[in-house]
Amino acid sequence: MDPALIANNVIDGVLMGMLYSLIALGLALIFGVMDIINFAHGDFVMIAAYLAWVFAMATFIDPSVMAIITVPLFFVIGLAIYKLVIEPVLGAEPLIQIAVTVGLGYVLQNMALAVWKAEPKSFPDPWFNYSIELGPISLSVAKLLGALISAISLILIHYLLTRTKFGLAVRATSANREVAPLMGISVKKVYGITFGIGTALTALGAALYMAWGQTNPYLGASFSLLSWVIVAMGGLGGVIGVFFSGLIVGVLEAMGNTFVSPSARLAVVYLAFFLILWFRPRGLFAKR
Amino acid sequence: MSWSGEIILEVNDVVKRFGGIVAVNKVNFNVRKGEILGLVGPNGAGKTTLFNCITGVYKPEEGKIVFKGEEITGLPPHKIAAKGIARTWQKVRPFKKMTVIDAVVVGVLLRTNDLAAARKKAEEMLRFIGFPEEKFHYKGKDITLMEHKLVDLARAIATDPTLLLLDEVAAGLRPHEMDRLAEILKKINEEKGITMIVVEHVMRFVMGLSQRMVVMHEGQKIAEGTPEEIANNPKVIEAYLGTKPV
Amino acid sequence: MVGSVGMKIGKDLLGVLILSLLLASVPFLIGFDQYYILIMARALIFAVFVVAWNIIGGYAGQLDLAAFAYIGLGGIVAAELLTFFGLTPWVGMFVGAAVAIALAVVIGYPTFRFGIKEVWYALLTSSLVVILNNIFHLDQLLGSLDHYLPTPPPGQEWLYIKFPVYEYIYWVIVAALAVTMFINIKISNSKTGYYLRAIREDELAAEALGIDVRKYKLKALISYAGILGFMGYLFIVIEGTYSYHTFNSPQSIMVAIMGIIGGLGSIGGAFTSALLLKVVEEYLRGTFGSTIPGLHLLLYGILLILVGIFKPDGLAGIYEWFKKKYLSSRGKEVSGK
Repeated sequence: MDPALIANNVIDGVLMGMLYSLIALGLALIFGVMDIINFAHGDFVMIAAYLAWVFAMATFIDPSVMAIITVPLFFVIGLAIYKLVIEPVLGAEPLIQIAVTVGLGYVLQNMALAVWKAEPKSFPDPWFNYSIELGPISLSVAKLLGALISAISLILIHYLLTRTKFGLAVRATSANREVAPLMGISVKKVYGITFGIGTALTALGAALYMAWGQTNPYLGASFSLLSWVIVAMGGLGGVIGVFFSGLIVGVLEAMGNTFVSPSARLAVVYLAFFLILWFRPRGLFAKR
Repeated sequence: MSWSGEIILEVNDVVKRFGGIVAVNKVNFNVRKGEILGLVGPNGAGKTTLFNCITGVYKPEEGKIVFKGEEITGLPPHKIAAKGIARTWQKVRPFKKMTVIDAVVVGVLLRTNDLAAARKKAEEMLRFIGFPEEKFHYKGKDITLMEHKLVDLARAIATDPTLLLLDEVAAGLRPHEMDRLAEILKKINEEKGITMIVVEHVMRFVMGLSQRMVVMHEGQKIAEGTPEEIANNPKVIEAYLGTKPV
Repeated sequence: MVGSVGMKIGKDLLGVLILSLLLASVPFLIGFDQYYILIMARALIFAVFVVAWNIIGGYAGQLDLAAFAYIGLGGIVAAELLTFFGLTPWVGMFVGAAVAIALAVVIGYPTFRFGIKEVWYALLTSSLVVILNNIFHLDQLLGSLDHYLPTPPPGQEWLYIKFPVYEYIYWVIVAALAVTMFINIKISNSKTGYYLRAIREDELAAEALGIDVRKYKLKALISYAGILGFMGYLFIVIEGTYSYHTFNSPQSIMVAIMGIIGGLGSIGGAFTSALLLKVVEEYLRGTFGSTIPGLHLLLYGILLILVGIFKPDGLAGIYEWFKKKYLSSRGKEVSGK
């Protein structure tokens, strides 16, 4: 195999991996803090991608820039979804919790299908979708940008979690839900804001993705899978765990694309996921 | 009081760590057949962790736990239960959608496959514990806290255990309920011959109940003896009050 | 009190018998109209899937999203055995069931370890269907084409379970439904049933009572996978073709959704919701399919959310609520499972 091809694929995988980390971080936060099993996570990405596209088409500004609007918007949407759908089932058995998010995913998918139909949508005149050539290496500026912003966001979130009062509240609640109120922490507020942040992160990732990608109602499936694999691998390792898992998954996917076939690239990730769940990485055990 | 009873549980130099924290630090004691042993200590002493090591929820890093002459360290909880160690829960774990009688049947089924016989035995257990007969068909979510604890007890002894571990069973109860519970526990110990370890916070409850006590503090055993000896032990007083007695 | 368990089983079995007779009479009542018999057969086979799913989802409380992994595997095994070795599906279906069970054990054994969170099982099973879909897409296996079952020589229709008319397969499915319901009833009223209910309520407490949680979850999984693996061939007969598409993830999720809406642990609920939702789906697809595709899925999504939040006991819970309100001569007695 051509080494330049492999190198390009690895680099592409790394850049994509950073973006995946950003998107997975939202899921990791939500799952890690409140044990909420959000099957609709990928569908949040999908809707956020559509909205970035809608705003972009209305203003002729690149969808990635539309993150300025969609990120705060999705923070609010996340809060709303938490209040309406998640909070009511916090005490229910896990199967019901998962089921409710499955239902949510279906609603989002089919709303998108009804409004925008099945044809993929992308921004016709992307600002960053070109490559810079460094010898045999070809770097996509859009992906580079996405990776950069993702990295910065990851660092910011890490800072938020480890050095701020809110972050402390989040970690305290996630460690011991019962004791937290005794320390003056409103568990529901922490949950709500965490859910909002998690959702906002997916919106950021989605907007960055739309700098070069296209969206369709079924986009959610692949992003859900990628996020879950990253969370499964990264385990309870916090932002750092998610970061490294994201890189690995990104490269894995790129390898699948090159060495197996483009259509099977997700299957490779599925297989990896399957194998991870089969053996025993630390991330899989219930916190007790 | 000296005991010539056989030893049914040995906790030998058990160590349990969580990351950098040593929750149980080389704890050593024995439990004699037929006795009620109180296991006390201030918050964070490691009692519950030790409890969970005995029942198989945790696996100790070092040390051995021997039950009826057989090593049980690190066995999964269901195997330990099958060998004859039962437990109750500090935070009640009711079977909310199942009826009280069905919950106890689950316990009985450990020793039989006959459903009809199991139901009979379950009823016996509930009556023995003193659970009101008219509420046998109430669902777990519809009974009071005290009734939960009774069901929890009935469920546990329905598995026909040799040793019963009670995890802060007096928590949340009013004084007269505590007294009633203590009477029931004594009855279980005397009439069914079940040995007990009572992990407890409420001193009045456990002192009146135990024949012997073990005191833990910061992961280690600091005292062992009769309730009177424990009450007058300066190390124990210091552990609870944080200051040396004058 | 003691005999009431036996009486309850007897009552339930009678109910199954009556239901089966009613269902079996449908072709007669509609003049053997092939179009509607096919719809009924499609709906009923889904009912079998959902009632079987009730064992793993309702009794054991595991969100299994891999129904069509087992249906597909069992069905394709039986179909290929027939095509290449002329083995009658009456034997082939059992082979299919065995293969499905083997797969189920491979999935369940490591996943049901003590302490693994529920969500991983849901994710694992949903990815299983996709993996099988991709594997069977390979040219070495089924490739991209639709495969057809061989046509039986005249007189051998029963050997192939393939007929020029739909009522015979319909009746076979009715019989399968009755058997599946019977299996549910037996499990529910056995030690396994009690243990599964305890596991679903509280795994930790169940373990402490001596229950080997993994073993019993596996029992439930094997029953469920075995039934689905067996039914796979019948599904292929109704569909007419088989391919890698048989490993259908959305439909697998549908089975779980129907089970939840019906009410976890309720055989009647599983049956009712499957029938109802399948019929509604056919109607909506027929009427709005071109204008608003996915309308039925949107509705089911909303329904699932509403059920989860307000009525997690599903249709069965609603039915019980009605019973209590309007048959209140029963008094305060709170009983039953």
